[in-house]
Amino acid sequence: MKTMKKYKITFFLALLAFVGCSDLEENPVGILAPESFFKTTADLQAAVNGSFAGMSTESYWGRKLTLTLLLRGDLADIGDQGTSGRRKEVNDFTMGDDNGMVSAFWPQSYAIIGTANQAISNAGLINDDEAKVNAVVAQAYFARAFTYYHLVRLFGDIPYIDFAVSDAADIAEISKTPENEVYEGIISDLEFAKQWLPDTQGSRALPSKATAAAYLASVYLTIADYSKAAAEAQFVINNESRFDLALESDFQDLFNADKTGGLREPLFTIDYVGQTRVDSYGQDYVAPVTGIRGDATHEYGEGWSVAVPSLKVYQNWDGKDYRKAVSLDTTATTKEGVIYPYTQFEDYSDAAVNRPHIAKYYRYAGLAGNNGRESSHNYITMRYAEVFLIAAEALNEVNGGSSEAVAYVNKLRERARMGSGSLYPMDVQDGLSQDALRETIINERAIELAFEFKRWYDIKRLKLGNEAFGPNGLEPQSNFDASRDYLLPLPGPELVRNPNLLPNNTGY
Amino acid sequence: MTTKKNKLLKRFALMFLMLLGTYLQAQEKNVSGTVTSSEDGISIPGVNILLKGTSTGTSTDFDGVFNIQVPGKDAVLQFSYMGYVTKEVVVGENSNLSVVLQVDENELEEIVVIGYGTVKKSDVSGSVSSVKAAELTAYPTLSAEQALQGRAAGVSVQSNNGGEPGAPIKVRIRGGTSINASSDALIVVDGFVGASMPAPEDIASMEVLKDASATAIYGSRGSNGVIMVTTKKGTSTKPTLELNTSYSVQNVNNTIDLLDANEFATYRKAYSANYNQGPANTDWQDLIYATGSISNTQLAFSGGSETSKYYISGNYYTQDGVVMNSNLERFTVLSNIDIDVTDNFKVGLNVFGGRSAKDGVSTQAQTGGTGGGDVISSAYRFAPDLGIYNADGTYTINSLGDDIDNPYALAKESIDERSVDTYRTNFYAAYEIIEGLELKTTFGFSSVNTQIGKFKPTTLLAGAGVGGEATLENRRSTNVLSENYLTYKKTFGNHNFTLLGGYSYQKNKNEGSFAGARSFVTNEVSFRNLEGGAVTMQPSSFLDETELISVFGRVNYEYASKYIFTFTARRDGSSNFSKNNKYAFFPSGAIAWNMGNENFLKDSNVISNWKWRASYGATGNPSISPYETLAKFSSVYGVVGDQQVNSVVLTDFANDNLKWETSKQLDLGVDVALFNNRLELTFDYYNIQTEDLLFPRPLPEYSGVSSQIQNIGELKNEGYEFSLNSRNIANEDFTWSTAFNFSTNKNEMVTLPDGDDLFIDSAPGHFLQRQTQVLREGESVGSFYGYEYKGVYQGGTLPDGTATLSSDSAPGGELFADLNNDGEITTADRKIIGDPTPDFTMGLNNDFRYKNFDMNLFFQASVGGEILNYTLLELGSGVSNASADMVNAWSTTNTDTNIPRPEVREKRITSRYVYDGSYVRLKNLSFGYNIPVTVLSKLSLEKARIYISGQNLLTFTDYPGADPEANYRNDNNQRSNTNVGLDYGSYPNVKTFTMGLNLKF
Repeated sequence: MKTMKKYKITFFLALLAFVGCSDLEENPVGILAPESFFKTTADLQAAVNGSFAGMSTESYWGRKLTLTLLLRGDLADIGDQGTSGRRKEVNDFTMGDDNGMVSAFWPQSYAIIGTANQAISNAGLINDDEAKVNAVVAQAYFARAFTYYHLVRLFGDIPYIDFAVSDAADIAEISKTPENEVYEGIISDLEFAKQWLPDTQGSRALPSKATAAAYLASVYLTIADYSKAAAEAQFVINNESRFDLALESDFQDLFNADKTGGLREPLFTIDYVGQTRVDSYGQDYVAPVTGIRGDATHEYGEGWSVAVPSLKVYQNWDGKDYRKAVSLDTTATTKEGVIYPYTQFEDYSDAAVNRPHIAKYYRYAGLAGNNGRESSHNYITMRYAEVFLIAAEALNEVNGGSSEAVAYVNKLRERARMGSGSLYPMDVQDGLSQDALRETIINERAIELAFEFKRWYDIKRLKLGNEAFGPNGLEPQSNFDASRDYLLPLPGPELVRNPNLLPNNTGY
Repeated sequence: MTTKKNKLLKRFALMFLMLLGTYLQAQEKNVSGTVTSSEDGISIPGVNILLKGTSTGTSTDFDGVFNIQVPGKDAVLQFSYMGYVTKEVVVGENSNLSVVLQVDENELEEIVVIGYGTVKKSDVSGSVSSVKAAELTAYPTLSAEQALQGRAAGVSVQSNNGGEPGAPIKVRIRGGTSINASSDALIVVDGFVGASMPAPEDIASMEVLKDASATAIYGSRGSNGVIMVTTKKGTSTKPTLELNTSYSVQNVNNTIDLLDANEFATYRKAYSANYNQGPANTDWQDLIYATGSISNTQLAFSGGSETSKYYISGNYYTQDGVVMNSNLERFTVLSNIDIDVTDNFKVGLNVFGGRSAKDGVSTQAQTGGTGGGDVISSAYRFAPDLGIYNADGTYTINSLGDDIDNPYALAKESIDERSVDTYRTNFYAAYEIIEGLELKTTFGFSSVNTQIGKFKPTTLLAGAGVGGEATLENRRSTNVLSENYLTYKKTFGNHNFTLLGGYSYQKNKNEGSFAGARSFVTNEVSFRNLEGGAVTMQPSSFLDETELISVFGRVNYEYASKYIFTFTARRDGSSNFSKNNKYAFFPSGAIAWNMGNENFLKDSNVISNWKWRASYGATGNPSISPYETLAKFSSVYGVVGDQQVNSVVLTDFANDNLKWETSKQLDLGVDVALFNNRLELTFDYYNIQTEDLLFPRPLPEYSGVSSQIQNIGELKNEGYEFSLNSRNIANEDFTWSTAFNFSTNKNEMVTLPDGDDLFIDSAPGHFLQRQTQVLREGESVGSFYGYEYKGVYQGGTLPDGTATLSSDSAPGGELFADLNNDGEITTADRKIIGDPTPDFTMGLNNDFRYKNFDMNLFFQASVGGEILNYTLLELGSGVSNASADMVNAWSTTNTDTNIPRPEVREKRITSRYVYDGSYVRLKNLSFGYNIPVTVLSKLSLEKARIYISGQNLLTFTDYPGADPEANYRNDNNQRSNTNVGLDYGSYPNVKTFTMGLNLKF
């Protein structure tokens, strides 16, 4: 019986030992709760960085947004006819509300905005010097303005949210905000950014005061408020040394992934590190979609000939302009090392097309993955040269034929000559009419900023579609319909979820 | 060997008894003989033999031999043995008797395992199906789940990935009671909740608990049904050694007919004028498919003493898949030890350990864009006019559509190894405090360690630009379970009570880490030398923990074997639940009436048993992931100034009120046994209403967060189950038995928030198609959603109610139903275009035995479910090779066709690719031979059986895809109920031929 007792005691002890107690509270490791996350400006910076990281995704700058902008314009057409239908639809003006490009960059745009809103709304939680906090949160204002600026130009009236959402039900039934009010929000954000951002940042991947001013200039130009556009642009130009800005002497350096990190011309860049990404973050395909099929010039292999300029783009471009050589590749190399001209591209790949290809991204992608994806590019979304062009265009609108405007354009032409003693591109002469100078400046934009995702916005802004896509345009497109095609359709499913967003843009 | 020694000892004892008997009653008669089983002709040791009317008796020895003194030739001997019909034999003139005992098919006294206890089958008030060991091992399967297919009504089983070695198996009991939460049944192995399944050969029985009365004891985890697995234990004191071994050969069941190089060239030129035909003619499927094999061996020892029993088993399984470079190796060890320490105190220990190592090939690509694609879908997509290698020795890349590696290169060069080590130990002690009152405590621990190593060499696209990519991932999941419960059994006259009450604590911990590198000097080191990569990938690690605290109880009351009442309840508290809903309560009740035991039926010759059952109760599905109810930022990869910087993005909103799902289930059933239990019928009707469904509700995309888990709406599952077991013929020489089961399950979305449709995206990523399925009130879950194909546009006026896409408006384009009659096809013209839910599923099993020969014929069928075939959709998109019927595509000279003009088209979801997925399949056909007892005894063997069998030998189906048992994007819990009836890039299903041998010493 004694043994029995021992068993009993042991048994019940064992029983008690494992009757655990718990309050069932969750104490996650490494999962960040927004309400407790914001304590220091470094936390705020991490959220701001999150917004910028969102721009570097494949669904945004890495391909979906940038390729849409390229194809929509008249400087790049579809090359490989076997490419995805969603791209052809964008290019050919046949897109529906289920287009696969829009359905990718629309949610990503709002993901960037959502994170920026978190930083902006929670900045007050940080117990630190106001100026220090504002200098960081101003970056979030910039990120939000940057993203809405693309959205409003692409879609017109859009849902506009400028606060941190904690419950989606709060915004489930909102209506679209009219285009002009969206612009007001963008301007107010950029004003805040301009007020609080420092003159310079450690990296051009972070916005400075000059970045905010340059974007303000661009926004004012878009809404045709030319005097303000000129004022903001000239604020940047007149303070170029304070903002550490200069035109790079070699135009090619702007598109060389190994050099962009140290340049003084960029006002804002979206940075990539070669061969590195985590899921969609840090993933970019701009070099592959613009590069040449069947080409073996680069270590990273061939491109895919998706977005290729029409032959007319090449033919109309003065061959004496250095920028043409930087912007376009006219030859490729076989695996055996034989160089062949663009007129033979199709001989080396069925998916190729016999036209010069965009070189700005494919030629010097730096350390990169296959086809030049996961490149080392720091994509320059705004550079000092564009500020000169904005100033020039705005001044010409305010004061037709402005000689100041002419001087700004000539700065770019001078740089394009690279001190080579060449006469080309020749300076613009004073004395042009307002219309003639406007045309000169717009063409200068097309050349200087070719394939930099600006041209579609110029076409839209100045309503150049019928000309650009007409029979004598650079890229004739019979489907182009000016009453429909200056705006993209909002994604259909979004309108089903929230019918208050109806109707979709005209024609979709 | 012990056996021999024992034999000698026993023989000596017998001789002694005989001598003794002779001395005592010389005038009496000495009778000896053997007792064998009617089932397999094998001798039965330990049969009780009683001289009728006396207390004199003996029992058979290990060889089934007995010897007894009887008073004379009129003496009657009674032979009884558990599980067999007791037989009386008049001795007569014979002094040597050969007695064959019939297996007792009256299984009503069979013990059925239920949660935290057992119950006699006749006392079961809920809906429970039992599957026996013989059915689980009828043909070689890696997992016991797979062996369940077609065996029990209401249980549907399907491989998630065709015949892939080690493919996950999806088991659904009475349909999916959830939309997004896991609907995997809870697996309880020897009382360990949430255990991994042991090898089929080690399983003694499996019980499938189906209705709420049976599953409510598992509360918040019960709504998907429960599979109770009981592993084999030592039964007799005789040491027994069993060897089961088989070898199988496997071949691909079916391939898809594609265009050959010349047909392909013609096809491409139709829409791509400057296309030049490639240099080769390659059948990629043929190239990557090979003959596979399975070798499976189990060795088990069992035995023990009167007070302690053991069962120790080892199992070794290797499989070479039918796709090149895919294989699997697994070994497991299982040990069960049960000790009666004293009459009222028992302890036991179950130990299970094993490793499975899988070397796989990629299949079912989630996205097949550039550098993506899996081996199988690539074999369909890849241009047939290319060879394996380019002229320079590098692998070819597809010449149309996204750049993908050729399937041979992918299968050969890509490394994808997964090894899983599983360890589980479970200790129990049971103490009978007073008569009928038992306290049982169990303490268990399990650990599953997974390592996944991958390498993409520079010879493949994914590795080419980055100098090779190696990743290594480790995961560990541990579970601690402590359960303590009291069971009290009491009988007063005709009143029988069983009371159960207990407490349970379970803690689950998941952790893991990931590392990777790129840019290697060589392709030789695979993922075993990450430091050799010049570029490191972002490392990551995680930890999450879940605690579950529960109390549970059950009352069984049975009166005079006629009326049975069961009440069950469990209260679960889970750390995963949101802060406003931490505890959940699940009650259930059942009544059963054994009408067959009433006086008016008791003596019926026709009706042996007739039981009515009814039950109703609530169970839950707790599939809320740890921390899922909290608002979250997530760290992401961000770069500023070419430096990686700390970056977070908002990914989730909080939900403080998120709850478990609750299923309320009604079950009405009847069990009927006729003709002395030769024919048994069971019929059940059930209706499961699931409320508070968990769903990642797509949020407005402008909110910045794509979705949020919410409790939305209600789902209904309703069905009938019928099963029949019949011993058609039962002679000593010939037996024929049939088991048939038939189930229907209809599911329906009852309510959704605001009645709005919710959409599901399941298309492969590179299709760039969203909203492929819809959840709509009144419709089946997983209904396909898209455009209704109306044939080919012939030019001229559009037929009424149809239109074309603006991008495809030339003659020969696709015509779709223009639902809103606006003259164009937009997203507004989509509708439900198919329902993946089968009308019914069936299993039909026939066992024949003639003398020592046996034969099994097992058919399984699924009828009425539709399949959306993404593979064929891709093959029709113009950016891949095409299926062979493309030669009949529309052209100006061939207008009478349903196949549009060759063209590159977006991969829109249309009814053109929705097919009837009905099939009838001969799942197993086997022939066996039992070596006669006379031969066995010479070989010191107790049993020896050799057999040959074939699996999936015949399939009857109209489905044009590779296999109607199709699945895609299905093995992750969030999608397993909505992504039904999808087909893309699955590992091919197989035909198997097996030869096997079972030996028992």
